Amino acid sequence: MNGDPHSLIEVRDLTIGYGDRRVLEGINFEVRRGEVFAILGVSGSGKSTLLKHLIGLYQPMRGDVLISGASIVHAEGDERLRILRKFGVLYQSGALFGSLTTVENVRLPLDEFTDLSEAAKDLIALSKLRLVGLESAATKLPADLSGGMQKRAGIARAIVMDPCLLFLDEPSAGLDPITSAGLDALIRELARGIGITFVIVTHELASIYAVADRVVVLDPKTRGIAAEGAPSWLRENASQPWVRQFLKREAA
Amino acid sequence: MRPDGTATLTFTGELDAISTPQAWSKLETEFAGSNVIRLEVDVRQLVCDSAGLALLYHLSVGGMTPGANVNLTGLSPELQHLLRSFSKEDFQALQEHEPTCSSFVEDVGAATWGWLRDLRQQVEFIGEVTVAIMKSLFRPRRMHWKEVFRVFDVAGVNALPVVSLLTFLVGMVIAFESAQPLEQLGAQVFVANLLGLVMSRELGPVMAAIMLAGRSGSAFAAELGTMKVNEELNALQTMGLSPVQFLVVQRVVAGILLTPVLTVFAMYAGLLGGIPVLLGLGFPLRMVLHQVQSGLHFGDLAEGISKSIVFGAIVASVSCLRGLQTGEGPRAVGESATRSVVSSILLIILADTIIASVTYALRK
Repeated sequence: MNGDPHSLIEVRDLTIGYGDRRVLEGINFEVRRGEVFAILGVSGSGKSTLLKHLIGLYQPMRGDVLISGASIVHAEGDERLRILRKFGVLYQSGALFGSLTTVENVRLPLDEFTDLSEAAKDLIALSKLRLVGLESAATKLPADLSGGMQKRAGIARAIVMDPCLLFLDEPSAGLDPITSAGLDALIRELARGIGITFVIVTHELASIYAVADRVVVLDPKTRGIAAEGAPSWLRENASQPWVRQFLKREAA
Repeated sequence: MRPDGTATLTFTGELDAISTPQAWSKLETEFAGSNVIRLEVDVRQLVCDSAGLALLYHLSVGGMTPGANVNLTGLSPELQHLLRSFSKEDFQALQEHEPTCSSFVEDVGAATWGWLRDLRQQVEFIGEVTVAIMKSLFRPRRMHWKEVFRVFDVAGVNALPVVSLLTFLVGMVIAFESAQPLEQLGAQVFVANLLGLVMSRELGPVMAAIMLAGRSGSAFAAELGTMKVNEELNALQTMGLSPVQFLVVQRVVAGILLTPVLTVFAMYAGLLGGIPVLLGLGFPLRMVLHQVQSGLHFGDLAEGISKSIVFGAIVASVSCLRGLQTGEGPRAVGESATRSVVSSILLIILADTIIASVTYALRK
């Protein structure tokens, strides 16, 4: 079923949309193990919709998404749960549960899915918080954290079950450039240090050049992929002029 | 374990979230009471995740062999990276952290203070709404009549079936329950008079207002609360528009207009509910209607209707106030909705008691 052992995600002939409206038609790409992959596009090009299909929240109109060779589109029950365990997701707002403290938020998956002792669960949750630099905010409520800290806590919760894959939806949205750069450094550290594969949806060019190994650029006009490759290479060599302009931050 | 106090521990296989708890407790019993000075831990053939790492960390800081010198060998660079993120200090800090528990006296003080502040806000709010309504009455063009009619439709017209059904059933029950005691006095026919009075003076307006509080007051609070959470209220204020003028006045005016209508429907539905019971007791319809007519005066209807206007104003304005008072986060919206219903019903009954006592004194 899995053609290439190096690819972690395979998107095959995927068509997605709402009702009768098609957002993307017949797209194909793959994400390789260990890389930081970015999905890029102008507002309204279907980046976030594509992400929600990759993580199995929405059903596509046609086509398939394979994660480690298993289809998340057709999986049900325990098989679906097994695929879901392979990845973590950071939502745009962090999506922390407001009634739980930071460490309780991070512990939640451990509480629900494992039989570890209380001390072990605390140890693991705290280690993840230290990994994202939030060990001193463990007992704070999400409302008392800044936007950047909430995203870090969201990442800590997403990696607590040791996924090999992490999806980030607009990680730098609403953050100042310095906090955003700190988040980029964290992504690089997690990717190089413990080998997590990242799929990032963003329109923040600065962080793409800082972290992404490869990008796909979505084209809202053709509802397909306009370009695919390393961001700095595409900036000079993309076949379509608007992609080069977009990557150089020039108005088309 | 050798006699010089050196122990060797070799892990093979997989230590994940499922197998770790077992291994943890097994090692704990193994090491209990032993006097290990040096512990060599070999993890060259081990595959492990964070759960396994937590166990290795616990071992490496001497968590199972206090005072021993522990040596870990064969850990891959990635796992070493992860192991460095474990920290005993963080763990101790978390264990020592106790949720702040306030004393009884503090709680009482905070509750009293909160209650007084709320009272002050309510008084201020009543003033603000009154001024805003006056302004709108003098300049009716600035009023958003479309919004008034929308609220009238949603909270009033759509509520007619449920309010009518409810009071119909209540009327029936009252007729049933009062028929028996009145029979002992031979005054069963006065069930009709009683029903007419109770429905027009008390239950008609009260039932209509309680339904309004539960059905629409909570919706007002949730709607304004969500707008506050989404910073829409801030947007209004920075545009120089007052949320009271822009959102509350419409709802209060609609509330004042729609409650009397609901109340009239409630009164008649209640009477209609009693009629089948009276017919069942053997009274002819003409007699029942005659009894209702003779027992009911214009003053009773007027009392009920004027009460309902007060109730409508109370429900709409209190619900809007609770909505505007919403704090942060999704939970606050739920709290506001609850508080709006509780405060509305409380104030309805309070106002009802006051009006009933005053009119009783006046009738004497």
